Amino acid sequence: MKPTVDKLKEIAAETLVGKKAELILGWQKGSFWWQSFPAFIEKQEELDSLTWDPFCVANLSIYLLEELKRKKKVALFVKGCDALAINRLLQDKCIEREQVLLYGLPCKGMADRAKIEAAVGEELSIREVRRDGDEFIVLTDNGEQHLDASNYLLDKCLSCRYPNPIVYDQLLAQEIDTFPVKERFQSVVKLENSTFEERYLYWSGHFNRCLRCFACRNVCPACNCRECIFDQNEPRWLGKANILSENQFCHLIRAYHVAGRCIDCGECQRVCPMDIPLQELNRKLIKDLNELYGDYDAGTDPEEPQPLGTFKLDDPASFSES
Amino acid sequence: MSVTEKSLQEKQAWEPLIVAFCCNWCSYAGGDLAGTSRMPYPANIRVIRVPCSSRVNPMMVLRAFQRGADGVLVAGCHPGDCHYTSGNYYTRRRMSVFRRLLEYTGIEPERFQVTWISGSEGAKFAQVMNRVTEEVRALGPNRKLRDAR
Repeated sequence: MKPTVDKLKEIAAETLVGKKAELILGWQKGSFWWQSFPAFIEKQEELDSLTWDPFCVANLSIYLLEELKRKKKVALFVKGCDALAINRLLQDKCIEREQVLLYGLPCKGMADRAKIEAAVGEELSIREVRRDGDEFIVLTDNGEQHLDASNYLLDKCLSCRYPNPIVYDQLLAQEIDTFPVKERFQSVVKLENSTFEERYLYWSGHFNRCLRCFACRNVCPACNCRECIFDQNEPRWLGKANILSENQFCHLIRAYHVAGRCIDCGECQRVCPMDIPLQELNRKLIKDLNELYGDYDAGTDPEEPQPLGTFKLDDPASFSES
Repeated sequence: MSVTEKSLQEKQAWEPLIVAFCCNWCSYAGGDLAGTSRMPYPANIRVIRVPCSSRVNPMMVLRAFQRGADGVLVAGCHPGDCHYTSGNYYTRRRMSVFRRLLEYTGIEPERFQVTWISGSEGAKFAQVMNRVTEEVRALGPNRKLRDAR
């Protein structure tokens, strides 16, 4: 049984009528077929805008930070990766478990607009994309097209480890079987094996293009500081000039500040307008922390201490200790 | 070559600049001991005294590189000897990971070093400073992280 829009609307109506929550976070369609924006629903008449399609990729949990300032209880839909984000916020004591009502949605991966456009080749006439089992059904002006979903998923979904939410109050569909995925450290290992010069050219090339829009930070469930170090004026750690050294500073520190806390949801890389491979930075840190200080999967257990917030007396080091 | 030309050339000859964050209780005292024991170490080192090696965060390291350092050293008490009991254990984890991250983005690991020097190890202080200076000298000026403005 797959979750349907009707099921979502039904449960949302129930929540509002029963006053189980003051606000429902869901998704609604934007102006284009590939846009499913977050929806903030407080009234029953707004329920019709709710949607659930292969573009509902936005993680809703980050909006809790703002909404819970004014509201006592918020209901939201969580996919597998979003559930890790909820645990992230719980672990950071940003939210309390009683403040949220979680409706779990098992998810087989979200669609990549660019890949579908490339396959269908008639961008303007696409009307809608639906998922049916393992297929994406693309509705165009010239009829329907059936695509094998696994070839048109977002890159981040190709290495999904948690298709089912691990924290929820109610699951809206049956859990799905885990499916084989791409090994997530592949590209990190490849980079590690190149020379210093190659790596420097690779990263400075990417960092040079950064616009400093901070989308990567704003979308990140681990970036939940009340005041970000990048916004601080005194001391001003990050200068305003858009030059390589400031961009390097920005990206190395962003990655480092989520080290051991990054849930590897890949949202930072997805929202980057300049396609900077930010996940390769995050994954390098995850890989190193696992190698040096034991396997740790951020977001799976809100009670477990994070690797950089604890230590052992006999920890190894990446420098000579003699 | 005239005398003026030669002295100009000498002035322009590049010397590595190394910023050493030394913890107040061990490494800084080690530096003091090196001084009072008349043990020579290069003048390329600029020591910044910090209360604990865990006071140093990666932003400080990167800022040093941006503003002209060719190498950065973080020195603290030996594990187990921290004045605040556990500060350097955190340093070990944080800096190990950060060092690997720098390496990953193409920065030679010799440029960013971490070491433990106790208050009684004046000789080790001098020896480490010599070693780091020579390693950074061999690498040449830091152009990768420098603020080029």
